[in-house]
Amino acid sequence: MRKLLFVILILLAQHAMAVDDSKLLIREINRKFALVADYNANVDMKFDIPGVKMNSMKGKIFFKKPDRFRIRTKGIYFMPKQNPMQQIGSMLLDTNSYTSIISGYETLDGRECAVVNIIPTGNQSELILGKFWIDKKNPLIMKTQITTRNNGTIETQNVYGSMAKYALPEKITIVVEMKRFKMSKMMTADLNKKSAPKKTENQTEKGRISMTMSNYKINTKFSDAEFTAE
Amino acid sequence: MKEFIAIFKNELVKTMKRPRSFIGFAIISFVCMVLQAAFYQDGKELLSMVTSQFEQVFSVQGNVLNGNLICFIILQTLIVQMPLLVAFVTGDTISGEAASGTLRFLLTRPASRTKILLAKWLSGLLYTLILLAILGFFALIVSRWIFGEGDLVALNSDGLTIIRAHEINWRWAAAFFIAFLSLSVVATYAVMLSTMMDNSITPIVTVMVTIIVFTIIGLFDMPSFDLIKPFLFTTHMISWRSLFEDPIPWNVIIQSCSILAIHIMLFLGIGIYYFKRKDIQS
Repeated sequence: MRKLLFVILILLAQHAMAVDDSKLLIREINRKFALVADYNANVDMKFDIPGVKMNSMKGKIFFKKPDRFRIRTKGIYFMPKQNPMQQIGSMLLDTNSYTSIISGYETLDGRECAVVNIIPTGNQSELILGKFWIDKKNPLIMKTQITTRNNGTIETQNVYGSMAKYALPEKITIVVEMKRFKMSKMMTADLNKKSAPKKTENQTEKGRISMTMSNYKINTKFSDAEFTAE
Repeated sequence: MKEFIAIFKNELVKTMKRPRSFIGFAIISFVCMVLQAAFYQDGKELLSMVTSQFEQVFSVQGNVLNGNLICFIILQTLIVQMPLLVAFVTGDTISGEAASGTLRFLLTRPASRTKILLAKWLSGLLYTLILLAILGFFALIVSRWIFGEGDLVALNSDGLTIIRAHEINWRWAAAFFIAFLSLSVVATYAVMLSTMMDNSITPIVTVMVTIIVFTIIGLFDMPSFDLIKPFLFTTHMISWRSLFEDPIPWNVIIQSCSILAIHIMLFLGIGIYYFKRKDIQS
């Protein structure tokens, strides 16, 4: 009986430490985010979406706290409905809206990361579960896996450069699970093509969008018109 | 040569003066305007039918419903119907004259039968070119004016290809050239049938039936049809679409253009052969 109590006490202590450690990591990331009121940067977007062929494109991104975000570019592009670049920062800011816990440790690109799970406290939240891989040594979000009610799971992988002090990535790769895009031959009048084999029609595949940022400009207090102008 | 140009001019005037020639122009203009009005009113709803497959995951940013997409849809829709309009005019080139009794008078000219047929064929091709120019004006220029310019979302059965706006103009020029080549096959086929028949309606109906049957065969993925599809000119008539793929399958396009050119030469050769041996009774 004593042994059992001892084990339970150790587990509880570990749990409390994990909670505290996750809060420390999040606090450090929020401290870096807090240094940024707004930013803009050049962006080079590459798309690898099943059933969609499109060339890379250049544009400019604009962000203003708390969550105003826009990509300005001439042309058509695809973005996840819940843009992680817009949401991840603000998701962690309100520390009262979620509980966090470290569920394990993993090594990503040679960095030891804590896997921090974020569980919303309210029932009305769009978020179901957020998993953040946070570098232990220099707290930065290296990878995320956000599961929401309406838009499934979106994964991001971040690479940091000179803007790591603001927790702003140099490259972000967004990975989403989706079904391959397909249209009927009748609708497209595409007589020369053979229909795709049925086996592949319902398979889920991974779509990737990678965004490489350059020439970051922090806290320049740019006009709000950047979010609305044509 | 002067003699040939004089015959050609005469044939051109005859083609353009016929009321049925203007029916083609009017139909093309009307259909373009109707489609443009429909897309202006309900385009976004129609487009959501296409994008609904990935709307749960992605939002599509940018002006998708632009002039280039409208032109792509119009060209895709009309390329199946336009041959009927071409056949309507070129299908009675010889047979119409035979039926009305003017063919014997036409052949009293010192020019050879080959020259007369070539002049008629060329005037038919020029009519086809004008028809395509009208389509290009309404489908591309007017659509761009109404809906604006932008990247083209090309709809293919195996997915979407997004062509950037700065890469699009030369593709349209090439697409309209291939469309002209395709319609020239129909015009030549109609002229060929016209030399074989003495009734002005039969060649037109035969061309229409051929195109309808060939198109239906092309729509179905059946192993037995797969064997004959490469030999049907309708299969190659839509090779303009390949210009809107990435990467562009140049070998497929060149092969299709070559097959279309061979069809033109073959139909024209058969037409000349029949016309030279035709027994003119009226």
